[in-house]
Amino acid sequence: MQTGEGNALVEKVYVDGLGRTKDDLVIKTVRELFEAGDFQQVVLKSQEVRSKLEKLGCFKNVGVFIDTSRGEDASSNGLEITFSVKELKRVLGGITTLVGNNEGSLVIKSNLPNTFGRGENLQVEYTYGTKQSKGFNGMFIKPLHNKANTILTSSFYQKNSEWVTSGYHLCEQGISLDASFDSVPLVRHNLQWEGIWRELSCQSRTTTFPVREQAGHSLKSALRHMIHFDNRDSTIFSSRGTLFQMVQELAGIGGDVGFIKHELNYQLNVPVTNDVVIQGSFQGGFMKRLNDEKLIYICDRFFLGGPHTIRGFEQRGIGPQSDNQALGAQGYWAAGLHLYTPLPFKPGQGGLGDILRTHFFVNAGNIDNFDFSDNLKESARILTDKYRLSYGMGLMLRLGTTARIELNYCVPIRSQRGDRTHHGVQVAVGVQFL
Amino acid sequence: MPSVLLTDSISLELGALEPWPSDVKLYQPYEVEQILLQDQANSLAVQVFLRMCGLEFQVEMRSNAEHMSPSGKLPFIKCGAFVVADLDPVVSFVSNKGINLTDHLDAAQKADMRAYMSLANNILGNAELYISWCDETVLNEVTGPRYGSVYSWPLNTLLTWRKQKQVAKKLTALGWITKTLDEVYEDVDHCCNALSERLGNHLYFFNDRCTELDAVVFGHVFTLLTTPLPDNRLASIVRSYPNLVEACQFLEKTYFQKPTAKTTDDDSDNFD
Repeated sequence: MQTGEGNALVEKVYVDGLGRTKDDLVIKTVRELFEAGDFQQVVLKSQEVRSKLEKLGCFKNVGVFIDTSRGEDASSNGLEITFSVKELKRVLGGITTLVGNNEGSLVIKSNLPNTFGRGENLQVEYTYGTKQSKGFNGMFIKPLHNKANTILTSSFYQKNSEWVTSGYHLCEQGISLDASFDSVPLVRHNLQWEGIWRELSCQSRTTTFPVREQAGHSLKSALRHMIHFDNRDSTIFSSRGTLFQMVQELAGIGGDVGFIKHELNYQLNVPVTNDVVIQGSFQGGFMKRLNDEKLIYICDRFFLGGPHTIRGFEQRGIGPQSDNQALGAQGYWAAGLHLYTPLPFKPGQGGLGDILRTHFFVNAGNIDNFDFSDNLKESARILTDKYRLSYGMGLMLRLGTTARIELNYCVPIRSQRGDRTHHGVQVAVGVQFL
Repeated sequence: MPSVLLTDSISLELGALEPWPSDVKLYQPYEVEQILLQDQANSLAVQVFLRMCGLEFQVEMRSNAEHMSPSGKLPFIKCGAFVVADLDPVVSFVSNKGINLTDHLDAAQKADMRAYMSLANNILGNAELYISWCDETVLNEVTGPRYGSVYSWPLNTLLTWRKQKQVAKKLTALGWITKTLDEVYEDVDHCCNALSERLGNHLYFFNDRCTELDAVVFGHVFTLLTTPLPDNRLASIVRSYPNLVEACQFLEKTYFQKPTAKTTDDDSDNFD
């Protein structure tokens, strides 16, 4: 095949193996191939189109085949490109295990990929957790395949959770509508509406009375906006990059729960040498009651303490407590400074050594029902007054690409009356850490 | 909520060590707009029992009282760190503190009293449940609106429907669901007849002194007499036993019109 500079032209594109996938979606995706001017562009563009086709959520695998164009009206420098695709099966299912923060669960899942031929996904999931947290959810996902990568999701779900450290059990049933899109590259927004019916019940007779008073049914209807920015090189042992998340929630459009809530999560990773990384992180949240008629329940509040947030304290062990059960509060902040290094003398390099790290940390934070004044200095004093501080070191093991196990020796050095401290070894499995 | 026997007995035992605190509270749903027949009867029974014992308490009304209760039964009292629901557990909780109303009874009378108490609770209590939840008119006009009054839409219909299923299940287990309304009225009549015969022309059931049975019967009779329903046949059945009504009025005068206990809510004037 002879191809000179600037004279290759794509004349025909075949897509082989299409079944229920709609033509308009495929045509829209492959159209840019016709803009290629020379052979190099054709090759690059066809790779691009291939990965776009793979991301549509319609095909299992996509192959590319480039050939000279044949037929009567074929020109000498014409090319034809054939994509051989294999569509996803109509019904998929599976059983997987899931690791969340200090909880493992079994997930039985079934979905109908590419339901209506444009990459939609209809899925149903049943979860059974180690802490008796049973739940199900059904979800319909509709990607719009536009520039902003808009994805519309509607779902309904039921979720059961046990909160031993606060003495209550929570059963939530809800529906939600969500639209997510990119505003600029890497900045993802979510706009959500959620309507949840929640039933809070006491775990035992020893449940403290302030929690017992909140038992019963509540209805929450909330609008939420989330921003997510993440340019870290890996989610678990990142060596560079920033994570920024912000959530704003307005509850109280109907229902009996009403508040405005802001929450922020920031993480910065700076490499010092090749594999020594300093990580700074900050989390903070604040909520306010909407009016006197609508309530804030314990399950809406913030909690702090435990191996995922401020190490050296029990789970939810910081802040307002009653009979050693955490009541939560309406404002908090937490900050952490971490130094990650490989194991001393780097044993097991290239193997087990790569998924292990040593870790030194200092954590600080505060949680309370802060009442801010107009005086900035005074407000800052309220936030930093009675802060908690702990430090320690430990070992971390990466599990796959999203979770990790931490084994730390923690020393709490500043705590307040009523806090449940944990001096010594603390173990945590989880996805999100301070 | 499951009621766990062991923690139950431990809490009772520990509770016995302390004297009756002054900040005891009795929790029940809102009296004017929410409470239902059976809960009202039970609440009155516990209240009058505590007053008979001379124990101080305050009535607190909470829309979620049913869910706050450790066993789901109403009413419940909070005494220090302990929460105790329903009349029988309250009676044993109180007797652990050395206070009881049955010292003047002999063994046979005690057995009699137990039998009459369970008769009153089973027949009158279940009849109240049946009328509230299984009679279409009462369910739609009284029970539904009252039960759902504290929830916003759509929880009010949903929770009423759920509660109705629960009650229907309970009444099925007890064999009441197959009864007709007339059979229920007949049962109530038999029950009142038995109670009336036992009472005779006294004001108390045993030895002219108060017992738990007086409290239980007062709760039911007062509730049935004073609660307006679309069909007031229940009230007229009870009214046909004048000695029961008289005893009830006497107890009300003795224990509720004396300022022995404060109620926190002004709505308590419907005892007058």
